[in-house]
Amino acid sequence: MPKITIDSTEIEVEKGTTVIQAAEQIGIDIPRYCYHPGLSIVGVCRICLVEIERMPKLQVACYTPVADGMVVHTNNEKVQQARRAVLEFLLINHPLDCPVCDQAGECWLQNFYMQHGLYDSKMVEDKVKKQKALPIGPNVMLDSERCILCTRCVRFCDEITETHELGIFNRGDHTELLPYPGQELDNKYSGNTIDICPVGALTDKDFRFRTRVWYLTETPSVCPGCSTGCNINVHHNDHRPYKAGGIRVSRLKPRYNPDVNQWWMCDEGRYGFTQVDADSRIVAPQKKTRGDWQLLSWQDAIDEIATKIKGILKKHGADAFGVILSPQMTNEGLFAAKRFFQETLEVENIDFEVVAREKGYADDFLMKADKNPNSEGAKKIGLSAVDNSGLEVAQMLADAKDNRLKALYICHHNLEKGFKKEEVKEALSKVDLVIFQGTNQNSTSNLANYCLPSASFVEKDGTFTNFAGRVQEIHKAVEPLGESKPDWTIFRNLSKRLGKSMPYFEAGDVFNALAEEVDAFKGLSYEKIGEHGVLLNGHRASTEKEMGALVA
Amino acid sequence: MEFCKAAKTECDKIIAKYPEKRAAMLPVLYLAEKEFGHISPEVEKYVGKLLDVPPVKVHEVMTFYTLIAAKPRGKYHFQICRGLSCDLKGCVKIIDYLSEKLGLSSDETSDDLMYTFTPVECLAACETAPMMQLNEDYYGNLTKEKIDDILKENS
Repeated sequence: MPKITIDSTEIEVEKGTTVIQAAEQIGIDIPRYCYHPGLSIVGVCRICLVEIERMPKLQVACYTPVADGMVVHTNNEKVQQARRAVLEFLLINHPLDCPVCDQAGECWLQNFYMQHGLYDSKMVEDKVKKQKALPIGPNVMLDSERCILCTRCVRFCDEITETHELGIFNRGDHTELLPYPGQELDNKYSGNTIDICPVGALTDKDFRFRTRVWYLTETPSVCPGCSTGCNINVHHNDHRPYKAGGIRVSRLKPRYNPDVNQWWMCDEGRYGFTQVDADSRIVAPQKKTRGDWQLLSWQDAIDEIATKIKGILKKHGADAFGVILSPQMTNEGLFAAKRFFQETLEVENIDFEVVAREKGYADDFLMKADKNPNSEGAKKIGLSAVDNSGLEVAQMLADAKDNRLKALYICHHNLEKGFKKEEVKEALSKVDLVIFQGTNQNSTSNLANYCLPSASFVEKDGTFTNFAGRVQEIHKAVEPLGESKPDWTIFRNLSKRLGKSMPYFEAGDVFNALAEEVDAFKGLSYEKIGEHGVLLNGHRASTEKEMGALVA
Repeated sequence: MEFCKAAKTECDKIIAKYPEKRAAMLPVLYLAEKEFGHISPEVEKYVGKLLDVPPVKVHEVMTFYTLIAAKPRGKYHFQICRGLSCDLKGCVKIIDYLSEKLGLSSDETSDDLMYTFTPVECLAACETAPMMQLNEDYYGNLTKEKIDDILKENS
């Protein structure tokens, strides 16, 4: 393996490593715009120039492979002078409208200029004017004057989505990034171009002018939009909530996970978080009396529901009780539910799967047709009807219609997605006790007798198991809205009221109990999951071939 | 939109010269301009198909170079030099005169597709400044009278 010296530190690296990667290994961050580890290397921005001894000119660190005995200087006077010159060049036609630019605070032009800037411009020529605030697709806004022509977005559309919408047109200081005439930047992953844009040229229509990025806090999590479970950071506005009009979650950004989504996420997941702060959130326990919803305290709600459940079980037996859990719930919520319904209430009619009538969009990249983050977890925990020799959801509704089902506990589902509206309405109207537990109102919750408020995925800790059997953590970014609580807490409290307490105080306790009891999870612990998740027993990591387009 | 048989053979020959198809972009565009008169968006797409690249890559090359026509050009293409030598020899007046005579401003083509008027950078014939190129031929030491004669010959 070649041995090289970077800024007087000797390091041995794999053959074929580039200078920029070798420097990263010893914690030296060489400035870069066009270089991105997930894309091909083009060496066009020139900000990463370094001095390599015995080479006559400065070399681009991103494109130069290491060679044995190489001596590299990444920050001497000559290199700094070159960086100053590159920045001066990049800013010749830059509009310097940082005060109104969304990228301010996370802009690499600003960041590198702070370190290497020339400060006093030598240019007297007028700047070339280009198009500003040009919508180039459903999600992306282009400011051509801010663009430094690094081609990251062009290469993303060429190499990752292979949709080829973008190009670099014209020449000299009139060179401009634009979509192909007559075309829009409209693909299922277009938001990623905003993430990888190092400056303020591509900004997010959904985020522009909403908040300054330095007011945001990042919390690592997992996208609940489908069974892939892309790793994300939730960006939430903790510093100035009063400026955000009740919107606590500002945006979702993909978080690097080499085994799941690399650097990317789809637009459906990226913009699918609005229900978290929507008016439809259920914020307190409530019951319907004579057609009107009436708010309850948690204590009263638990008391009333426990009494009614006990009454029905006594009078009609466990066969008259149906439970519809949801793959939207975390492993912890599902496991606590399993213990509550199976052990405390001894109910067998438990199922979680409602097959959507409209098939979800899927591709061979990140998007899966199953729009639930935890179907695999629910299966492995044993919550399918077949596991419990109980009724399937469809059968529960049929039994309800025939007056054989007296109580139905429904978590999160909008049953209309799987069944006809009239069917659901008729079935539920014949059940004495319908309890709905979920984050938002929907047409099913409207048919219930009781509604219990669940915390949404940004308001709780827990884990999801993705389609490949990878268990990944979500984290609490903001406080549960109103009186809402994590699902596992609600089941724990109900169980205690009905005579069986569960010693769970946080999500980790539930997970560790689950790991002891369920075979697929044996040997795992909450502490072991880590930032990139762990595979369930019997699952193996995807090969490069299976990851397909993921591997650039 | 397709090359005739002869042009297709020519095109295949050009492509065969390069290690990858994409490298044949400029000569194939030149051939396409000769065949179709100019490179319309449809021709861009066709060239992309011939070279196995998305049309946006052809458009990048098309917008980079000024030498290949993106719009229809007139039967007579006047490319008049506005380089340094020609400027020193008073080409500004000649350019204005020709523009007025043709009734065309910079980069315009007459509605009857007879004339196209394009001021260009140096054509490397400074010894005859001020000069211009009409289709494939150079005309030097231009005066207003000479412009009149040339226009009479080519109309």
